[in-house]
Amino acid sequence: MALRELSSLEKYLGLKKPNKYSTQGDKKVPVLQSNNGAPVAGLVTIACHLVKQAQRPELLGDSAESRAVVQQWLEYRVARLDVCTKDDIKITLKDLNLYLQDKVYLAGNQFTLADIFMYYGIHPLIVDLAVQEKEKYVNVTRWFDHVQHYPGVRHHLPLVVVLRNRVYTSGHH
Amino acid sequence: MTKEEVQGAAQEEAQAQSKKALKKQQKEAEKAAKKAEKQAKLAAEEQSTEEDDFAKERYGVSAMVQSQQKLDRLLVRVQDLTADKAEQLIWVRARIHTSRAKGKQCFLVLRQQQFNVQALVAVGDRASKQMVKFAANVTKESIVDVEAVVKKVEQKIESCSQQDVELHVERIFVISQAEARLPLQLEDAVRPEGEADEEGRATVNQDTKLDNRVIDLRTTTSQAIFRLQSGVCQLFRDTLTKKGFVEIQTPKIISAASEGGANVFTVSYFKTSAYLAQSPQLYKQMCICADFDKVFCVGPVFRAEDSNTHRHLTEFVGLDIEMAFNYHYHEVIDSITDTMVQIFKGLRDNFQTEIQTVNKQYPSEPFKFLEPTLRLEYTEAVAMLRQAGVEMGDEDDLSTPNEKLLGRLVKEKYDTDFYVLDKYPLSVRPFYTMPDPSDPKYSNSYDMFMRGEEILSGAQRIHDAQLLTERASHHQIDLEKIKAYIDSFRYGAPPHGGGGIGLERVCMLYLGLHNVRQTSMFPRDPKRLTP
Repeated sequence: MALRELSSLEKYLGLKKPNKYSTQGDKKVPVLQSNNGAPVAGLVTIACHLVKQAQRPELLGDSAESRAVVQQWLEYRVARLDVCTKDDIKITLKDLNLYLQDKVYLAGNQFTLADIFMYYGIHPLIVDLAVQEKEKYVNVTRWFDHVQHYPGVRHHLPLVVVLRNRVYTSGHH
Repeated sequence: MTKEEVQGAAQEEAQAQSKKALKKQQKEAEKAAKKAEKQAKLAAEEQSTEEDDFAKERYGVSAMVQSQQKLDRLLVRVQDLTADKAEQLIWVRARIHTSRAKGKQCFLVLRQQQFNVQALVAVGDRASKQMVKFAANVTKESIVDVEAVVKKVEQKIESCSQQDVELHVERIFVISQAEARLPLQLEDAVRPEGEADEEGRATVNQDTKLDNRVIDLRTTTSQAIFRLQSGVCQLFRDTLTKKGFVEIQTPKIISAASEGGANVFTVSYFKTSAYLAQSPQLYKQMCICADFDKVFCVGPVFRAEDSNTHRHLTEFVGLDIEMAFNYHYHEVIDSITDTMVQIFKGLRDNFQTEIQTVNKQYPSEPFKFLEPTLRLEYTEAVAMLRQAGVEMGDEDDLSTPNEKLLGRLVKEKYDTDFYVLDKYPLSVRPFYTMPDPSDPKYSNSYDMFMRGEEILSGAQRIHDAQLLTERASHHQIDLEKIKAYIDSFRYGAPPHGGGGIGLERVCMLYLGLHNVRQTSMFPRDPKRLTP
C-alpha cells in the first residue's frame, strides 16, 4: 500500500528514476535506501524527502503557518486515519467534513502534499460509502472529488463516482 | 432448675404472652372503632349530599343500553357543532378525551372520531357541586351522552377541532365506562418523535400501539390514515368502473402456487393440502379468457416470506387489474398509470384534512406525480445507477437500496415520486411473463414505484398455451398442477396484461410513512398474529 503510494507520488512529482524501497517490521514501514547517505524510513519522511528531491518545496507549504498545517495533516494521516477502526469512520468523516466546510484544500487555498496523502489514505473509506452517505459528508466528497481529478494524483486508485447534485435534500427515509 | 421453678417460668411466659395479646386486641378494637366512625361520617356525608343534591336527576351512570326504549332524541355529531348552532340545546354522544377539574368547574374535551369539542360543567342553577365532581371523575375514554347548550367563545380554543364554540353541560350520563387504567395514552401515541425528545415526554412504540390496536386506532392519526385508505379503495373502484372494468371475486384457497412455490402458506384441505393465494393472478387471467375483457379484484393476498422489514406483511390487501389489449401492452400501462393518477388526484383534492392530520405526526413532502406518468426502461435505470457509482450487471434484479437510490435519482431529475420502470430482464420475472420480441433477455414487464419503493408489479402475460408450457417447464413448474390454467388458453385467448398493487404500501408511501404496519389495520407479519 505505502509503496504504491510512494511510487504514485514519484510519478506525480515527475521523478524520472524510480527509487528502490524495502519494508521493515510487522507494520511494513517503508524504507528508502538513498545513494549518498543513511536510509530514510517512514511514509511521511520519505514523501517529504521526495518533494525536496523534486524541488517542489511549495508542496510542503509556503508559509510557516501552512507548513505547520501540512505537517499536522501528514501526521493525522499516519497516526489517526491509518489506525481508524470501523466505529471511528463516522467520527473521522464528520470531523473532516466540518474542517473542510470553508476550505478548498486541507491547508487552505493551496494544494499540498497533505491533500495527496489524505486522499490516498481516505480512499478506502470513500469507496465504501453509499450515495446517501457521500451526500452527508458533502464537504469531504467535494474535496475528495477535486483531489482525485487533480492532474497526476490518482494513478493507482480507482475513480470514485461523486454526484454533483444533491438527491437526498428532503431527509425523507 | 427444680420442677417449681420450671412451672413458674412457664407461667411468667404465658402471662407475658397474654399481655401482648391484650395489647394487640386493644389496638384492633381502636382501629375498628375509628373505621366505623369514618364510615358513619362518610355515610352521613353521602346522605347529606344526596339530600341536598338538587341535580340528582341530571347525571349518573345509565342502565346498560339493551334497546329497552326508542328515545326520540337527536344526537348531533361533534363535527357539526359550529357557531351557527349557538344558543341551541343539543344532545351529543362522545368519548371523554380529557377532563380537568378546577374548583367549581370541570372542563371536558369530548371526542368523536377525529373531532373534539370543549365542554364545561360549572356549579350553578343547572349543575350541583356533586354533579361537577361526578363529571370530573368519569374515566378517560368513557362514552357519555351529554345535553348541553352550544355557546360561542370569545377566544378560539386552539386545542380542539371545534374552535368557535364550547358546550355548557346540563346533563351528563355515562353510557359505557372505561377502565381507569389505559394501556396507552392517546396523546402519547400521536406525539411526533422529535417533539417528545425536546420536551422529554413519552411516545408509544410501535409494538405497544399494535398490541393495543383498538385504542391506537382512536387516535387522530390512525383515524385519518384509515379514512384515506378507504378513499384509495373507493377511487380505485370508481376509476376502473368508469373505464368499463368488471369487479370479480376469486378464491383464496388454491391448488397450486402461482408465483414460485417458496413463499406460499400451505393449509390442510381435508385429505390433501391447498395453498393460500399469493395473488389472484391465474383467476383474473382465466376471466380474461372467459371474455370479461377488463377485470379488477380487491381482496386479501398471502405471502409466506419470512421477511421482517418495514414494508412486508404476510397478509395484505391486493388491488389487482387485468385487461385485454389490442396491439401493445403499453395500453395496459397507460390504463393503470391513469388509474393511479386519478387516485393521487382524488386524495389530493378530497383528503387534504386527513393528509395534514397525518403530517402533523409524521411530516413528509407532498406527493408529486407527472401527467402523463414517467416511463423509464430498465436499461436506462441501470445506466442512471451506474452513473451514480453503483456496480450491477445488465440482467441483475434491483436490490432494495438501489431501488430507493433510483427513486431519489428520478426525483432529482424529473421531480416525480411516481414512475414506471419498463422492460425488466426476463430472468427475474415469473414464468407467465411475455418475452420482449426484440431482445429475448428482456420482457414486456414493468414495476411501478412510489417514493422509490415498488408498489406494483405487472406484465404482458403469455396468452399462447404452447409458449406458456415452454416457459413453465423452463421454470421447472409441475405442469400437472397448472393444467387448468394452461388449458384455459387453448380455446382462443386475447392478448392481455395487468398488475397487482398493495393497498397498504400505496397508503404508506403516499403519506410518506415509514412502516407498512401503520397502514394495516390489524397487521400480520411473521411475528404477529394478534390482535
